[in-house]
Amino acid sequence: MAAGSRDTAKNRSENGDATNDGRIERTNTVPSSPSYFTREPRFNDLYIRLTQLLNKYHRLPTLPANEAPTLPWMKVDQIRQQLGEPVKSSHFAKMIRVGKRLNLIDPSLRPNEVDIVLRQLTRNIDPYVNNMRPITIDKFGRAIGVGKRKESTARAFVVEGTGEVLVNGKPLNEIFGRVHDRESALWALTATQRMDKYNVWALVRGGGTTGQAEALTLAVAKALLVHEPALKPALRKAGCVTRDPRAVERKKHGRVKARKSPAWVKR
Amino acid sequence: MASANSLRSLMRPSIPVAPRLYPIISSSFSTTTALSAVTGRAPKSSVVTSTKMKKSFKKGGGSASAPMKKPNPGERKAFRKRIQLSNNSALAVEGIEVLGADTLAQSSSAGKMFSIPDEIIDQLRTLEAFKATQAWNLFRKPHFLARKEAVELASRLENAATKKEAEKIVLTGSKLSGKSLAVLQAISYALLNKWVVINIPEAQDLTNGNTDYAHIPNTEPAVYSQPVYIFRLLQTIHKANKAVLESLKVEKDWPLTGLQKGNSLAELILTCKESEFAWTTFNALWTELTLPGRPPVLFSLDGLSHISKLSQYRDPAFNLIHSHDLALIRTFVDALSGKTKLPNGGAVIASTSGNNMQFHPSQELVLAQLEAGQSGNPIPKPDPYEKNYDERVYESLKNVSVLRIEGINHDDTKTLMGYWAASGLLRNIVNNHTIREKWALAGNGNVGEMERVALLTMRM
Repeated sequence: MAAGSRDTAKNRSENGDATNDGRIERTNTVPSSPSYFTREPRFNDLYIRLTQLLNKYHRLPTLPANEAPTLPWMKVDQIRQQLGEPVKSSHFAKMIRVGKRLNLIDPSLRPNEVDIVLRQLTRNIDPYVNNMRPITIDKFGRAIGVGKRKESTARAFVVEGTGEVLVNGKPLNEIFGRVHDRESALWALTATQRMDKYNVWALVRGGGTTGQAEALTLAVAKALLVHEPALKPALRKAGCVTRDPRAVERKKHGRVKARKSPAWVKR
Repeated sequence: MASANSLRSLMRPSIPVAPRLYPIISSSFSTTTALSAVTGRAPKSSVVTSTKMKKSFKKGGGSASAPMKKPNPGERKAFRKRIQLSNNSALAVEGIEVLGADTLAQSSSAGKMFSIPDEIIDQLRTLEAFKATQAWNLFRKPHFLARKEAVELASRLENAATKKEAEKIVLTGSKLSGKSLAVLQAISYALLNKWVVINIPEAQDLTNGNTDYAHIPNTEPAVYSQPVYIFRLLQTIHKANKAVLESLKVEKDWPLTGLQKGNSLAELILTCKESEFAWTTFNALWTELTLPGRPPVLFSLDGLSHISKLSQYRDPAFNLIHSHDLALIRTFVDALSGKTKLPNGGAVIASTSGNNMQFHPSQELVLAQLEAGQSGNPIPKPDPYEKNYDERVYESLKNVSVLRIEGINHDDTKTLMGYWAASGLLRNIVNNHTIREKWALAGNGNVGEMERVALLTMRM
């Protein structure tokens, strides 16, 4: 292991085979960390450090879980990449549990060394940088909403009007043969009784009919929210605000499809 | 969802002997296969009955397990094609004006519902102006909405009759937008005003090779008649226009028919007893109708693109016959292009079909050019790389005026949905929001789609 060999070199130089008074204590080289011969030495060191800190400070006053500061905790893949060790996810979960317990310590009383260790368990991102850009109504009175579902992407240009709808330059009946798809495309306007107040001009690309219709739902809802932000609870109740994350489940080896198993054959 | 049949009876409708599409013309002593198919079954062949054939290789009896009665020949087709004009489950709607002779042409009628008067319903049915795809079977009585385009159409017919000119119109528009209904409204107007109406309800019947055809002697280049179809058309014309035709006297001499001078045009049709003389009789009738002093004629055809392409018929050299070389179609096309004048006024209306459309580049081009010219837009140019242009089609259509029929406006939608609600078919409250919702779901006011969205979609 690359990390192990580096450790050995370091140990020789600083571990000191000699004591302060010049007497030789040991003739063999000893690794600095007791977990040197384990599978994940750096991870184990980190875990030992966390448990030591918890032992030391577990009497400090804590906050209830909902009041503790929210931290962008490290994911298991990232910690594997960072440490270069095959960390088991169950072990990682244990460590994060300890980290979360340490995070409960009241920030005003929390020692600096706890903060330093917790920083190793969090991702290096600034949550304030990644803000959603607010949609505005442009000089033509259009609000542009973007929606996605499955493989489809829709852009809806919503203006105040009389209820005319064009999707990809065609009326709704030419785009969607199924009435159900037409209804779901305009569900944001129908559910909020706004069909007679807005015109929709939309572009849809990719995917199939259901995906396109439901991508339109989201796009129209987002654009409608720009015109009338107060409709958000109504639209959320109508199911038009949240993006549906479901997508095709991947096929697995040894199976015919995602779940279907091959037919049983005697021999 | 509205249903045409009440669910009280799930029985199959009893049609004792399904009417044949074409009448069987033969003498009583004849034993043609067609006759024996209708009157009785063929004599049992002893060869077939005596041998014990294994009928099915399935286990468990086969046909004995299904005791269901098989439908009679033609029964299923008759069921599919039947026109049901009333439905007792629907509520009767009060206070709807009955269509009068000059009502439809008045501009004040636009956006109102009208009921079709009882006296012309049978005539319209004979002319096959009602289509099986239209939703007549949902309502108590047949009514229609006089939309703006229908009023325009009727007023143009009125003008044509007064000016004694032929009005040549092609109706276009997207699927289910009401083109066939506009033809029906034009026919209603014509029937109420004592015009003579000739209607070809499906142009594809003439060109898809399903009816017989014969070379007309002494025609060069060859022209073909379709005897059985024209014979049936003559009977239709006679039945639908009987009152008018009986009042018109034959003016020319038709030696083959044995008619006297004082006989009526209805009798002229009745002289044709066999399909061999159908084309001659039709030609005589058409000549008589285009003499001065006759009532105006409405000649309408549904499914224009089918008569623009090559037909499925073959000439003696086994080449496909152009549709314009079929005699009946040529009569129509000559009237549509203005080659045949209608000295008494009248109209030639061809309507395109949205669902059963055959793409024809010349037809598309000429209609687009005419439409652009009418609205003052730049005229589209022919595609230099298109090789399927047909000069005959272009020539036949270049003198028509195009009437585009698309979605209806919000006010008309309100009237229509009010009628649906009064019939008990639409359960929603008819308010501004419902109107706009159905209007948008139906592709910006497409009437057929609106019916589908509001009446024919099951909601659980």
